[in-house]
Amino acid sequence: MVQQRLTAAHERDLVIAAECGDPAACRELVEAFLPNIVGLARGFRGAHAEQQELLQEGVAGLLFAARRYDAGLSTPFWAYASFWVRKAMQEFVAEVTRPVVLSDRAVRDLARIRNARREYQQTYRTDPTAEELGRATGLTRAQLESLQATERAPRAMDEQVAAGSESTATVGDTIVDPAAEEAYQQVLDELEIGYLRDLTEELDERERAVVRAHYGLGEEQQSLSEIGAGLGLTAERARQIEVSALRKLRERLAQLGPLAGDTI
Amino acid sequence: MRPRDTGLRHNALVYESQDEYLARAVPFLKEGIEAGEGAIVAHTKPGLAMMREELGPYAAQVTFVDVSSAYTRPAQTLAAYHKVYAEQLQKTQTLRTVADVQFGPDPGEWDLWTGYEAVFNRSFSHLPAWVICSYNANGTPDPIIESVWQTHPEVIADETWNTSDRYEDPDELLRRVTPAPALLPELRSIPFGRDAEEFRERLARELAAEEVSDAKALDMIVAATEIFSNAVEHGGGVEEVRVGRADGRFVCEVLDRGPGFDDPAAGYLAPRPGVGRGLWVARQLTWRIEFLSSPGGFTARIWL
Repeated sequence: MVQQRLTAAHERDLVIAAECGDPAACRELVEAFLPNIVGLARGFRGAHAEQQELLQEGVAGLLFAARRYDAGLSTPFWAYASFWVRKAMQEFVAEVTRPVVLSDRAVRDLARIRNARREYQQTYRTDPTAEELGRATGLTRAQLESLQATERAPRAMDEQVAAGSESTATVGDTIVDPAAEEAYQQVLDELEIGYLRDLTEELDERERAVVRAHYGLGEEQQSLSEIGAGLGLTAERARQIEVSALRKLRERLAQLGPLAGDTI
Repeated sequence: MRPRDTGLRHNALVYESQDEYLARAVPFLKEGIEAGEGAIVAHTKPGLAMMREELGPYAAQVTFVDVSSAYTRPAQTLAAYHKVYAEQLQKTQTLRTVADVQFGPDPGEWDLWTGYEAVFNRSFSHLPAWVICSYNANGTPDPIIESVWQTHPEVIADETWNTSDRYEDPDELLRRVTPAPALLPELRSIPFGRDAEEFRERLARELAAEEVSDAKALDMIVAATEIFSNAVEHGGGVEEVRVGRADGRFVCEVLDRGPGFDDPAAGYLAPRPGVGRGLWVARQLTWRIEFLSSPGGFTARIWL
């Protein structure tokens, strides 16, 4: 895949359309910047994260940047977006790799558990029970279980795929070359926009029909008389349905939360 | 410190280490939960995982909000928090929140988010909520940390509570950081009809001519209806409507015959009795709304 070069105006229009949730624009934007995302993902090699997932996180970061980027700023889009792409990847890595996720205190507690287990093994030539570990560390059973669950060793990039297997391939080798067309295609196939708001989904069928026809949304714009005739209604009734639909949307967007005076 | 039961308490925590963050955030929320208050943690995914673990059995009573895609535009972020707060306040009389604020890398947008933090004080002033905004001092640029003192009446820094002597009136700060809108001569005047109904029909035609997507066109129609109604009800009537593209975005201006108003927080105040909801709705649906006095009249400008 050859990186598409966007003109400044096209890039701006694409970012704005992507900000609005336009699927085609999102896809084109992602395609254009995927090589850049791959470049950033390479920096995370060895971070115990699958490259494909990293790319997907990077794509999410790019689309988030598009929702926030103000073309009026003097910063070019990628200079802006790369921060969010990297941040999305960093957060993903932090989430899937234990040492970053754990608090400083939890890391210290884990070290206490490991030390206690080692001492016990050296002394008794067998593994300690949970009670024995609890006594040695001062941690409750629940704390021990919670911490030990995080002890699950993340798979290292250079770890052998299957012990005893004839293959000497490592996990790192099995990751698809990120420059390969296949990897790009998979990211694009799994592209999730997820934030396109369509207010008509808040309306019932008849309200939707009136609003779409009257404003020409996805169809030819019609007058209220024409819409009414099509639905077997008067123009005035069609107008009332439209007004009611708009009021419903307004209420939906401005729902009152409970107020101090009301709830206390 | 006890939360006030009747209004917002908006503080900041500037922390130097993860331990310091946890040492503040965890007891703060636990104390609230033990007193029957609601508890909300807003953070990145790894931050939420860390807090879940640290809160232990208390975590079951905490609402965890992933902020990784929440900070898009201030009006939308406020609306998102409003929803979370409103839902929590259906269950508890008061709430506590620790929220990690996501400033971006570009100095050009820092003012926008400083403005967000300032208007937060007014937006939720009526809610019985104690909100601590957390800022990681490591890696956060100095100007942002400085602005924290301007937008939060109390700041926990260097492990102590401080009343900020640099706190600014939110309206004054908003005026200071909001750039003055320039005139847009590229927009064209369109006939707007006799009422909101005809205005919407004509606006829809313009949106179609500019090939605005269906979903966004409806967002604009709903937002512009609010602006149009305001001009009719409070602005002495509509004088002119102008539309077109500027900086790649569809823009609609509604000019009225009134003297205009000067409320930098207009449209940022969460709905409550006595506060108009029209601009709150309009801001949620659009990129930006500006108000300016232009030669043709007081102008509300909607950027889609």
